[in-house]
Parts: sequence; structure tokens; C-alpha cells
Amino acid sequence: MDPVKLIIDGQEITTVKGKTVIQAAAEAGIAIPHYCYHPKLSIAGNCRMCLIEIEKMPKLQIACNTQVAEGMSVLTQSPKVLSVRKAVMEFLLINHPVDCPICDQAGECWLQDYYMTHDLQESRFEARKEHDRKRDIFGPNVVFDGERCIKCTRCVRFLEEVTHTYELTVDNRGDQSTIALFPGAVLDNPLSANVVDICPVGALTDRDFRFKVRVWYLQKTPSICPGCSTGCNTSVETYQNRIARFKPRVNEAVNSHWLCDEGRYCFHDLTGGERLTTPMIRQEGGLVPATWDIALRAVLKGLRSAGQLAGILSGRNTNEEAFLFAKLMKKLSPESALQVFYQERELTEVQKILMSPDRSPNFRGAAEMGVNSNGGFASLMDKLAAGNYSGAYVVGEDLTTANGNHEKLRSALEKLSFLVVQDIRMTDTAKAAHVVLPATHFGEKEGTYTNRKGRLQKLNAAVIPPDGALQDCEIFIRLLDAAGERVSYSTPGEIFQALAQEIPSYRGFDYDAIGDQGVQLGSGGAEPS
Amino acid sequence: MEKVLLRNIDVSDSHTLEVYRARGGYRAWEKVVQSMKPDQLIDEVKASGLRGRGGAGFPTGMKWSFVPKDNPKPKYMVCNADESEPGTFKDRLLIEKDPHATIEGTLIAAYGIQSHTAFIYVRGEMAFAAGVLERAVEEAKQAGFIGENVFGSGYDLDVIVHRGAGAYICGEETALLSSLEGGRGWPKVKPPFPATHGLFGCPTVVNNVETLAALPWIIERGAPAYAAMGTEKSKGTKLFSVSGHIAKPGVYEVEMGYPFKKFLEEDCGGVPNGRRLKGVIPGGASMPVLRPEEIEKVTLDYESVQAAGSLLGSGGVIVMDDSTCMVRAAWNISRFYAHESCGQCSPCREGCHWMEKIFWRIEQGQGDNSDMDLILNVAGNIMGNTICPFGDAAAMPAGAFIRKFRDEFEAHVAERKCTVRDA
Repeated sequence: MDPVKLIIDGQEITTVKGKTVIQAAAEAGIAIPHYCYHPKLSIAGNCRMCLIEIEKMPKLQIACNTQVAEGMSVLTQSPKVLSVRKAVMEFLLINHPVDCPICDQAGECWLQDYYMTHDLQESRFEARKEHDRKRDIFGPNVVFDGERCIKCTRCVRFLEEVTHTYELTVDNRGDQSTIALFPGAVLDNPLSANVVDICPVGALTDRDFRFKVRVWYLQKTPSICPGCSTGCNTSVETYQNRIARFKPRVNEAVNSHWLCDEGRYCFHDLTGGERLTTPMIRQEGGLVPATWDIALRAVLKGLRSAGQLAGILSGRNTNEEAFLFAKLMKKLSPESALQVFYQERELTEVQKILMSPDRSPNFRGAAEMGVNSNGGFASLMDKLAAGNYSGAYVVGEDLTTANGNHEKLRSALEKLSFLVVQDIRMTDTAKAAHVVLPATHFGEKEGTYTNRKGRLQKLNAAVIPPDGALQDCEIFIRLLDAAGERVSYSTPGEIFQALAQEIPSYRGFDYDAIGDQGVQLGSGGAEPS
Repeated sequence: MEKVLLRNIDVSDSHTLEVYRARGGYRAWEKVVQSMKPDQLIDEVKASGLRGRGGAGFPTGMKWSFVPKDNPKPKYMVCNADESEPGTFKDRLLIEKDPHATIEGTLIAAYGIQSHTAFIYVRGEMAFAAGVLERAVEEAKQAGFIGENVFGSGYDLDVIVHRGAGAYICGEETALLSSLEGGRGWPKVKPPFPATHGLFGCPTVVNNVETLAALPWIIERGAPAYAAMGTEKSKGTKLFSVSGHIAKPGVYEVEMGYPFKKFLEEDCGGVPNGRRLKGVIPGGASMPVLRPEEIEKVTLDYESVQAAGSLLGSGGVIVMDDSTCMVRAAWNISRFYAHESCGQCSPCREGCHWMEKIFWRIEQGQGDNSDMDLILNVAGNIMGNTICPFGDAAAMPAGAFIRKFRDEFEAHVAERKCTVRDA
């Protein structure tokens, strides 16, 4: 890595050989406007927005394709550069409908943003604008508006270079150029909606999200995708206490800039439906509402007298919850069989770019917290179905939808002498329970997940749980308390500090140091890697 | 003047190997492959002063010398026969009448860069020329001039004739390479340059037909003989395709430095029908138009035409007499560029059509007095700001027509009609 010194706008910058001017400038906090350049895609050089002046070069050069050189002097704000930026903006807008009020991209549109920062002039274009396809359905998640497209080809390059699925191309020529599906192709690969994220304008929009919320009303919470154990970094974007969409958050150690479609839309299934807002207890054959005190007392009594216990935790429960759950179950019965929900499926090559074969984002963390009796999840399910347990505590999963013999499992659940189910909805498993406890989902809680590769990452609460439901941590702490194990911690941060003392592989990690990018376990401490 | 490029075309059956050989054909190739080292050949071409005849006029020998010798990848020689510049039809004549000269030049150039595969990329519309070339390549293969171990020298060389699909932009060398690779005919961002990352990412040289067709003569007669012709910086001879309002349109071979006015008036017979010259484009539609008074002292070489404010380009001379509406001419040219813009770069994709629309409304008598400055400004915003020179090619003529015939544009605006055709 040879160091290279150059001057950008009079500021001396040291970078390394091989970097481009746009990269070196960004490192130094100098933003050079651009559309077609994307750090993870090949250089197209077509938008011409990043033209900059280089001393001793007669023509302006594109910053995205100009390598830094020793002693190079770059101007990103010279009169020539500013005037070309205005010109490029004007060109990009002459055939653009400028229908921002009805465009879903408004508020996060690069044309709008750069117009405000680099243009601010009225168009001199008075001729008839060229028309193109509106509402062209590219696939299940993506819709195209040809008139808003600036032909930066980011989408085409993404499908060529990242997914290698080649659904889109540029069709026609000149100002009739347009992005189009290849004949017979459908943009339905497992990463298809990423083209919406990388589209800088309103040309590609998300069929699931669009027209639901104006983006400036969204509250954005950095979090982790609950879809699988890859642990893609997300921004959970909410409006009026509901999740409106997931967006990927850049993390080169995990998901780079991307998010798979399954993860992106998984919040619908994980948060939808009618919520449980009161604990319930089985009486005379039916579940009836109860107070938390009565319900928790019933849980403790039921589990204590049930005999052989099984504890099944959702793969979406946090490390902190898993730590408390393991502590609770072992307190109630040291022989409790504990497992975190885990099932695999086959993945295609494109799925494998991001996805893990499970749907349990924190299976590794939960196991490391002690939710890991011998034999694995499948074996525990077999034993449960075979009637080997008389009591069970099931958290956050509907076991009747798991692989295997559903009828056998359902009747096994019904035969249990005591079943407590802690979930957000009245699932089929909950219907068989003796006590049902209303809990929270991934979007309502704070805590940590450990992904498949051992990266410890932070989940943040994006929405507020409904009245009547309790955080899983609080439920476990109350039960521990009632069981005679008073704990001195209550917040996720405090619980983490406790587990970081007890669990060897987490020793030395600090909750506040996990940050937005996570830390790698086994790296000897809370060093971001 | 002795003809270099058109020396065979008046001979009957000049397109056949038999006639070509009878007139000394393929002796230069034999000499090169049997007795010259690649560096020696490059030096010879450098010494001849031959410059690229596709339009840019870049020294040919220098272009070859940019190909790295230590690069382990295969090297490719590509003959650019995608002649598409409006007003230019010299390469088509060379190919149709004397295909072996182009082929022999291609072989010599390939040897210069040590390429073992050469392509001749023929413009899609030139179906007849492509057929002539294909047959000529076949003849040359049968005769052993192309193939393995040519002239027993141990040198292998294959030549492939490839037909394009007819896009103007594929005459631009990187777009040509994209097309040849099987992709969309889009110019590539530079760097890297074709000399190191050309066809399929391998070192590649692209030379124009006319450039290559001059090589056999240069080898046969020696670089000094070629360099003795022409001016100090523009050596040798050049073909000019003359069209428009001229008594004897056609392809002419002219020694560089020949007086432009004399060429038009004497060689080409001048403007016919008692009309007067109004404007002339010297180097194909993409070059700035010149007014009659501007060509008085111009000679036909790169430097003189440039000094007059235009460029020699491809040598496509388009003559316009005083019956020509310059607004309509400008619109016609701008329409061509709007139609042929590949659509890659924002300024060219959007700007070319914008200029066309403004030219059209002026021609229709619906223009505004500010429209001329608007076009000049739009052209200026395209110029130099695109991946390939197409943007310049569209901007230069648009600007020149307005600057040089502004009164005519203003008259269209003032009288709200075409003041030439509807006069």
C-alpha cells in the first residue's frame, strides 16, 4: 500500500495508491456529487456529475475513474466544475417529469438533493418532454418508472456483478434509452429489491413500501435483520409506531450494502396479526384473561410440578433473553432440556450470497448463553412429540408450523401436564397452552444477537410494544425473582454486562462498545473488526 | 502526384487476388514477415509520418508502440471499417475496389504489434463491401498469406471479418470493441486504454481502413518516399470524399497540403448551376462548417484546416451552395447525432436531442432570439464532458453553424419562417 499525497481543494490528503479521487475525497470528508458511481459496482462513468478539475489537465475528469497520483492537485469547487454540475443537472432534468409531489422517492431522491446543493436554476427546456413507460412491473418487489430514470445503470450492473442474474439491460439509444427486462425475464431473484436501494432516483421503487409513508416521516433505528443468522445490518424505518420498511445498513464485515428480499420483508410475518395484550390462563377448558401476577404465579407453580421440563426459545430472542431463560429453567429444574429453535433449508447459489440456511438470527448466541442441551433442536422436538416431557416453556415460536409430524406434535402439546407459551400472537401452540404470556417481537426490544460467524451485534427498539405485553427480559426476571433468584440487573445493557462476566466467550466485551457495526467474538475484546 | 491509395482502383477486377498480385500485391507483407523485426516495422511506420485516417490523425507508429511487449495476453489488431461519418465514403471504395490492400495493411499492422488474430469490423450497412472482403480474405488464405506459418516464417495470423449492426457510434474505437465482444455498442471509460485493455481486455490496436491501406505502399517504397509527400507535419496523401453541391462528387486522393479552394474549383469542378459556395464542411458532418472566405488560404492538411477553425477529420467534404438553408442543414446534422447518441452519458443523451428540438423550432419559424445562444450554451455544456468524442462531434457543428451563419438564424426568427427555402 504505497502512500500517495495529493491536494484536494487546497487540503493536503494522504491516501494509498490505487484509490480514485472520489474515494480519496470521501475519506477526507469531501463529498463529490455522483449518481452512477457506487463503491460496490464497476465504474460506468456515464452520469458525468463527478467531473472535477485537475491541475495541468485541459479537460475536466470524472473523479470516479481518476486514480490518485503523487502531487495531483484537484479542484472540486472551481467555477468550471460548478458550472458543469449545473449543466449535468439541467440535462438530467430536461426529460424528467419533475413530479416530486406524487413520486415515492421524494425526500430521498438524489436529483432533489443535488438540485438543492448544486443547481437551483430554472430549466431552459421548453420543448416537449420525451415519454417512457410508467409503472412497468419488473418483478414481485420492484416497479419501474422510465421517465424518472437517469440511466445510471446501477441496477443493471448490480444484476450483472453481484447476483449474476442478468435480468435487466439498457434498451434503445439516445434519449430513448431505457432500462428494460430481457424478454421473458422477471426481476425476482432473492436480492431483487436491492436495486431499489441503489437507484438514486424514483425510477425503481419498492412495491411493498411505496405510497404508504412519505419518507421524511420515517423514524430510522439501526438494528439487525431477524430473518436469518447472517445478521444483516438494517435500518428499521417506522411510522406511527409501525414498521414501514427495512433498509440495509452498510457493514462490510457482514452484508456490505445489501439485504435479501426475504429479510427485507420478513417484518410483515414477524409483526403482523392481532397482538396478545393480556396474560391468559386455562380454566374449565378455555383460556381466560388474567393479571400478570396471577399468570406468573401459575407459570412457576405449573413448571415446578410438571416433572421433566423442555424449554424452547425462539431464534429471534436476544442473548440477554437467552441468558435469563437458561438461568430460569435451570433454577426450576437443573435437568431441563433447553434448545433454541433451529431448522435449515436448501439455498440456491444466489440466496447464498447473503442468506443463511436457518431462520434463527441468534441461534448461536442463544446456544452460547446456555440454551443448548445435548442432542440438538430436532431431537428435542422428536422427544417432545414422543411424550418424553411433561412440562414445556415455549418462547416466540409456533411449534406446530415447524417441520415434521404436526398432528403428532399438536397432540403431544395437548397432552403435556403443563405448557406455558410466551408469544406476541395466539398461535396454534399457544392455543394448547395452560398459560399464555404476551411478549414482544424483535422490533420492540433492545439487546444483542450473535450471528452465525460470531459477530456480536446490537438490536434496538424501533417501536413501542402494545400495552399489556411485557419485554421477554422482564418476564424472565420476574419469574426468576418469584423463584427465589433475585437478580441485580434489569436493562439489556446491565444483563449483557452480567453475561459478559459469566459466559467465557463474551468476557471482556462492553455493551456500549458494540456500536452500530458490531464486534467479532474471539477477537480478544471489544475491538471492532 | 503518384497515387498511394487509389493506385489499383481503376484497373478492372482490381478486387481479385490475381490482379492485386500482378500489381505487386502482398510483396510488402512477404518482406515484413520474412525480413523485418516488429520494432523495425514500427520505426519504419513512425518514419513515414503516417497518421490515423479515421479522423483523429494520431501518429500510427506511435499508437502501435503503446502495446506492451511483455503482456502475456493475446494481442489483437482491429481494422476499423465501420465508416459511418456522414459525408464520408472513402473506406467503402477502398474495400469494394481494392480489398487486398486493406487486408495486406491489416496483416502488416498485426505483425507490428505481434498479433495473431486480426479483425476487420465492417459497418452493418456495407453488406456488399463485407462480401468483397470476405471473399478476398478467403483468397488470401488459400494463397497462404493468411493462416499458419505464412511464407514459411513461422508466423501465424488469422483474419476474421465481422459485420457490425449499423450504429454510428461503433466507429468509435472502444464502442467498436464493445460491439466486437458481443455487447452493446457503448464506448468504454478510459483509462484503461485499448493499447493495454482492449478487445476482451487484451492489448489491442484499432486502425482505420485508409490508414492500413497505405501500409503496403510505405513498406514497398520506404518511409522516406511517403514522408516526401505532404507537409511537414501531415505526410503522404489523403482521400477526400466530396459530396453535395459540387460538379464532380467522388473520392479523390490528394497530397497533403493541396490548396482547398483549388481542389474544389479545379479538381472537383466547383459549385455547379451558376450557384455560389455558401459553406463547406471539410472533415465529415461532425466538423465545424467553414464559410467561403475562410477557405481562401486553407490547404488540405491537419494543421491548416485546424488553423482555419475546423478539423480535417475523415476528409468528408460536404459542399453547400447558396440555395442551402443553413438552419435546416444544422437541424439535419443535429438530428443525426440525436439519433445516433448511444445514450450513455447524460450531457450527450439529453443534450443532442435538446439541440435538435431547438434547431427544428427555429427552422419552423417558431424560434426565439435567445435560442441561438441557448444552443451555443448547450453545445458548450456537452463539449468535452462525455466519455467518448461523440459529444464533441455533435456539439462542434451545432456551434459552428450558429456562429458562422447567425444572420440566417436571426432572419428565421424575425420572419417566423424559413428565409431560404420559402424566400
